Amino acid sequence: MTSTDSVWGSLTYLAGRFGHDYLTSYGVTLRIGIVSFLGGLLLAIVLTIARISPIPPLRTAVSGYVEIFRNIPVLCLLLFIVYGLPEVGFTLDYEPCVIATLILVSSAFGCDNLRSGINAVDAGQIEAARSLGLSFGAITRSIVLPQALSTVVQPMVTLFISVIISSSTGALVPIAHDELTGLVSKINTKEALGIPTFLVAALFYVATGLVIGAIGRIIEKRAVAWR
Amino acid sequence: MAMTPTESALFEAAGPHARRRILAGTVITSLLFAAFVVWLIMRLDANGQFDPVYWDLFANINIWKFLGAGFIGTVRASLSSGAIALVGGLVLMFGRISGVAPVRWLATAVIEFVRGTPTLLFIYFFFLVPSQFGIHMSTYWMVVIPVAFYASAVLAEVYRAGVQAVPAGQSEAAFSLGMGRWQTYYSVILPQMFRIIVPTMVTQLVVVVKDTTFGYVVTYPEMMQNAKVIVANSTSMLPVYLVVAVIYILVNYAISRFARWLSGRSAAKILAAV
Repeated sequence: MTSTDSVWGSLTYLAGRFGHDYLTSYGVTLRIGIVSFLGGLLLAIVLTIARISPIPPLRTAVSGYVEIFRNIPVLCLLLFIVYGLPEVGFTLDYEPCVIATLILVSSAFGCDNLRSGINAVDAGQIEAARSLGLSFGAITRSIVLPQALSTVVQPMVTLFISVIISSSTGALVPIAHDELTGLVSKINTKEALGIPTFLVAALFYVATGLVIGAIGRIIEKRAVAWR
Repeated sequence: MAMTPTESALFEAAGPHARRRILAGTVITSLLFAAFVVWLIMRLDANGQFDPVYWDLFANINIWKFLGAGFIGTVRASLSSGAIALVGGLVLMFGRISGVAPVRWLATAVIEFVRGTPTLLFIYFFFLVPSQFGIHMSTYWMVVIPVAFYASAVLAEVYRAGVQAVPAGQSEAAFSLGMGRWQTYYSVILPQMFRIIVPTMVTQLVVVVKDTTFGYVVTYPEMMQNAKVIVANSTSMLPVYLVVAVIYILVNYAISRFARWLSGRSAAKILAAV
């Protein structure tokens, strides 16, 4: 126990004993976060197209979808998918359950981001383009999307970071390989290593968020320049 | 769902051809949705989910009382966390805009750290660590402290955005009247800032309500935890989670609608997720 007396001592002990576990779990956190975000983004694009289409039932359905998955707590949805769906014959492994949960939630937020990006384009510009004889495709390609995409970068980056943070909910179901939060709680129920175990995990999350934020700012600058 | 001006500008006024296609689309999607609902119901039925065995418990008033107690637990934890965050966020915001560099750095670091860390990690921290030092904490505080932490950090940024949204002329005018820095904030900037950010603050309440579901982890009796207890003591799983999910969605939807209504009334925009 002497080695765990000081903070530094416990950090070196932690690195030696659990260093590998931390890296593996961080990998799982990133995997869940990235897969969920990309899946959510793709679904959000499809949903947004349906949301702004001139077909009333599609618009209403997507609005309902967005309201449901924006407002449901992630944990509530996760438990529903993990313990509720097998009752009706859909059994997924735990990690896919977490990913499915995060895809559903992030697609709802992503759809809202995309839609407000599109609505940030002034209606007058579209009318002007139409009066110049541009087709729907040309208007979408050269007027709407460039502007919508550049205003949407920042909210999407925020969404990506929050998806990675929300992957911590995976700690509450027994996924095969622990993600970061699950690992920390497991370490602390086995050995009382206290504050440093949490600090290390927190720094992983914070650093990831800062890096993604920085990359996002570069992309945003590019997007604005391109526009 | 009404179209916004941009959305309706995207599509020309439909001619007979387009109108026919829109009608076809409407019919086809309506049929698809109807088919989906029918399939869902058949699926549920095939798995015996409409068997009264699974739904009987909702005829028992005690189940509703227990869920109601959980709901009150959720409300209590949410309101306390929100109230703490109102003050905590203000303190962090003043730190963040302080003229004293070390204070500013510290507040910025705290805000970034708390916002960048999962609330669940903090919940586990307060669940597992104080007991390692022999400190006893009630499950209520194990939920409220982490949730309030996160909300404070977010509110600090909301406050800051609100302060920046107050026109610079306001504080210049206050200074030229001889007001000090604090009096300027107290009687000129903050009252206007609050008016600007009230809708955004209400939106953040949704996040707080969602975060209190982590009472499930520390067995604080909020709605999610009480649902877990009901599921553990009955044969129903899907119906219980379904009912709880619907309650959460309705509550949060009501809060978001309220925020939108406030925002529409005061012409104060809901600030984008910060």
